[in-house]
Amino acid sequence: MGANVSQLERDIGAEQFPPNEHYFGLINYGNTCYSNSVLQALYFCKPFREKVLEYKSKNKRTKETLLSCLADLFHSIATQKKKVGTIAPKKFIARLRKEKEEFDNYLQQDAHEFLNFLINHINEVILSERPQNNSKSKMNDSSSSQQEPTWVHEIFQGVLTSETKCLNCETKSSKDEDFFDLQVDIDQNTSITHCLKCFSNTETLCSDNKFKCDNCCSYQEAQKRMRVKKQPMILALHLKRFKYMEQYNRHIKVSHRVVFPLELRLFNCSDDAVNPDRMYNLVAVVIHCGSGPNRGHYISIVKSHDFWLLFDDEVVDKIDQSAIEDFYGLTSDIQKSSETGYILFYQCRDVADSKLSNSEPKVNGK
Amino acid sequence: MALTHKAGGQGGRKKVQVSFVIREEEEKQHRAGVNSLQYDPLLDRLYSAGRDSIIRIWNCKNPKDPYLQSMEHHFDWVNDIVLCCGGKNLISASADTTVKVWNAHKGFCMSTLRTHKDYVRALAYAKDKEQVASAGLDKAVFLWDVNTLTQLTANNNTVTTSTMTGSNNSIYSLAMNPPGTVIISGSTEKVLRVWDPRTSNKLMKLIGHTDNVKALVVNKDASQCISGSSDGTIKLWSLGQQRCIHTFRIHEEGVWALAVNESFTHVISSGRDCKVLMTDLRNMSKPPVLVCTEKAPVLKMVTTPDQAGIWVATSESDINYWALPKKDISPVASGDGNDSDVCDLKPYCSAPVFTIKGAPAIRKVHTLNDKRMILTQDSDKNVALYDVLEARKLEDLGQVDFEEEIEKRHRRIYVPTWFNIDLKTGMLTIHLTQDENDCLAACVSSREVGLTCPEEPDMRVNYGTVLLRALLEHWLDPFTKDEDAEIGGHQIRQIANDFRLVRVPGHTPLIFSDVGGRAFHRLLVKDAGGENESTLLKETVPQWVLDGICDKNNPAKNQFPKIAFFLQPHPSTGIKHMKKDRLAANDFIQMFKVAEHVYEKVLGSDGNSPGSERAEDPDNNIPSKDRVELLCNDEVLPPYMDLRTVKHFIWKSSADLILHFKPIKPIPNSTQRS
Repeated sequence: MGANVSQLERDIGAEQFPPNEHYFGLINYGNTCYSNSVLQALYFCKPFREKVLEYKSKNKRTKETLLSCLADLFHSIATQKKKVGTIAPKKFIARLRKEKEEFDNYLQQDAHEFLNFLINHINEVILSERPQNNSKSKMNDSSSSQQEPTWVHEIFQGVLTSETKCLNCETKSSKDEDFFDLQVDIDQNTSITHCLKCFSNTETLCSDNKFKCDNCCSYQEAQKRMRVKKQPMILALHLKRFKYMEQYNRHIKVSHRVVFPLELRLFNCSDDAVNPDRMYNLVAVVIHCGSGPNRGHYISIVKSHDFWLLFDDEVVDKIDQSAIEDFYGLTSDIQKSSETGYILFYQCRDVADSKLSNSEPKVNGK
Repeated sequence: MALTHKAGGQGGRKKVQVSFVIREEEEKQHRAGVNSLQYDPLLDRLYSAGRDSIIRIWNCKNPKDPYLQSMEHHFDWVNDIVLCCGGKNLISASADTTVKVWNAHKGFCMSTLRTHKDYVRALAYAKDKEQVASAGLDKAVFLWDVNTLTQLTANNNTVTTSTMTGSNNSIYSLAMNPPGTVIISGSTEKVLRVWDPRTSNKLMKLIGHTDNVKALVVNKDASQCISGSSDGTIKLWSLGQQRCIHTFRIHEEGVWALAVNESFTHVISSGRDCKVLMTDLRNMSKPPVLVCTEKAPVLKMVTTPDQAGIWVATSESDINYWALPKKDISPVASGDGNDSDVCDLKPYCSAPVFTIKGAPAIRKVHTLNDKRMILTQDSDKNVALYDVLEARKLEDLGQVDFEEEIEKRHRRIYVPTWFNIDLKTGMLTIHLTQDENDCLAACVSSREVGLTCPEEPDMRVNYGTVLLRALLEHWLDPFTKDEDAEIGGHQIRQIANDFRLVRVPGHTPLIFSDVGGRAFHRLLVKDAGGENESTLLKETVPQWVLDGICDKNNPAKNQFPKIAFFLQPHPSTGIKHMKKDRLAANDFIQMFKVAEHVYEKVLGSDGNSPGSERAEDPDNNIPSKDRVELLCNDEVLPPYMDLRTVKHFIWKSSADLILHFKPIKPIPNSTQRS
């Protein structure tokens, strides 16, 4: 292990090693790679890391929550004397197992489910720690302090709008919903841009699935599509690689090759989108290695400063940018095991350098 | 009525639902939008196809009282009609997935074609050949020979059809030229597909629209056609050159209706923007004439043969007749002649010449807690009260506040939902099914709901059973007199005694369909006893209905929903807590029954309770409801309140219900308290 650590420093080179940056592997506590890979990816989502560390500095003595454990973990990485090494996320894992029954075992878990749980849970912790008088003063109007966005909202939350047009009376109706990540279906030999386009394809509600039109007072055919109305600061894309197959009565891994570019622009924004021209940079990828949802391994690759690193539990390696291609997937469906991008983290370019709170206009919860 | 095209059949695995419509015996006015019109120049009659499922015939010679007759047999929107055979026959297409053939002069349904599998949206007519084509949301186009259709009988009920294949999208418009050499469809595919109906061969696809194509007309020699689209444009196509000759961008929204004169020199267009525009096809740069502006989106227009006027149908129930300008009139523009912005145009007509008045459609409905009375509000904001169980309107309340009337009639009673309400026709359609809202789920006390007099013994009745019996009364009648008659394994005779708790109006239409809306059979309640109908009903009435009707033989009747609860002494009684039994009872059990149980079983088994003194009790006939008081959440429960109402309105929790009891000391010399 020691040889590896020094190898990393040698690979990066003392001159190039970024100041105030630490690359620490995380020890595996028995199938906790689903957590390790997601935590590393989140650590290198800079706006998120900054907010977690800020939380740590502002909340010195709070009761233990999953957020306080996460803050302690991030803080201890960020304040290490050594530049590289390993850290044991023991307290965090212990707390996680207490918080959610499903994670209280040594089984392999789904990294996306974990990410989803973590973001929602942290958000709830922040809301519950909001000053009481604040919430009381606003009790009378229905959009109380619960609706005020937290920094988790500001970082991850986007808004999807689903637009429905009745084909009989041609009345359009739309409904907004918040999201923390987009879950996209994938096709063989395509790109993320293609998958996002399919995500926003017009779907016709017809035959037994007609739309109950309020205006026509009857079931009519309708066209429906989902588009992005507000793009989040960090766009988490979950590739639906685990597909339930009825004939096997279980989930099967879909290893399709899906190219994810280093730079991304969303072309499926609604006409009234807040910021349709946002450009995104790829900052982290959680990778699933193996043949099925309940077997295999999770690792992550992250971009730090100008180079890419691969985190495999306690092991950290510098990799070539060109090596990212290895994680697009397989062009043939014969091989069962693969190392494929599973969750992609894109950070929007216009906030990469500027301060988080200024750059994000407040969007009231809908 | 005559019979069916066999190909469709009544197959399918879907559950059959029973539906009925609450309405007047004669509905002289359209109750909702009018989807299509046909004009008979020989008799000066107008035919209109209503969303209220009724086709009406109007006498245009008598504008003061134009109503002649209704043609009723569809049970969903009539989407399109064509008049054929010189006005003798009418063909109709409906969202109930059928195409029907009518005797137009006498107004009765001759046969029903069940070949389509989804809403039938559009019809087209080739006059010279007496051929009609039908198309709809099932993507299919069928071609019918009208002379064959009109000769169908009960025994000769098969007809061959040719199918135009290739469309992969729902078809919303259809056109044929009079000699029947082309058939053109418009669909959500956004292209026009053209076939030769003589060979069923595909001829071409015309690409150019960017949205659904909802209106189509074609000229006599099939050299040109015009299409109106949801993309807001009208396109003139050359079929010979297979290309679009001109695109008219004169409407602000989707174009849904087109009418042309026979010489194809002028086209009248309208749609979602309510504007009726006339365009000169010989001089296409000339701006259109604004004929009139309707109050609602326009669905169909027909001109009189002399082009003097035009009948316009909209998504509201009025049908207007407007005068048409002379063909060579120049538009009354406020700006310069090149300005094609129709907003600036003054309409040629400011008011219709005359109007066939429609009636308001029911748009809102609220089921009261007794799950029997419903309040409705129509498009003119009139509120009315209906009784579902007797299928009739009780009271017109006028233009009063809907929410207030609901509030006024709020009662603390809980009855499970046992029917679904549908407002698609602008009238009340009630569906009885065995799905989530099980038609047989609601059991009530006959005395409590006023079905039997207070003197008569109280009965537990099932609303669904009562209503199904009433709906099929005339059909069941003969069976109740016949010792050996059996339907679906039940002897109807056994139910003869408590047969008629309610009656429904004989004119009530009764419909058997699958839950998806495909109709099997429609009849009037009063006709169910007829020989033909009776035989048909034997095949149509589903087993669950028979089981429901014959409640007594119904094994399911012992499986009424049960509610679990605990009975505990009220803390104020000081009675020490006895063993905590979890009890379960039918959800409609009333509190006095529970009080009886407490008096006889719970207190009776206890040494120091009134039960032990019962033998010596001089007031032995005091009802147990006056000896024991029941409470829930510290609220005293009325003796006739049932368990489900207690749970729903007082306990208000999904956890097991807890009832407290409290013995009442008998008051000396008192006999009865209310």
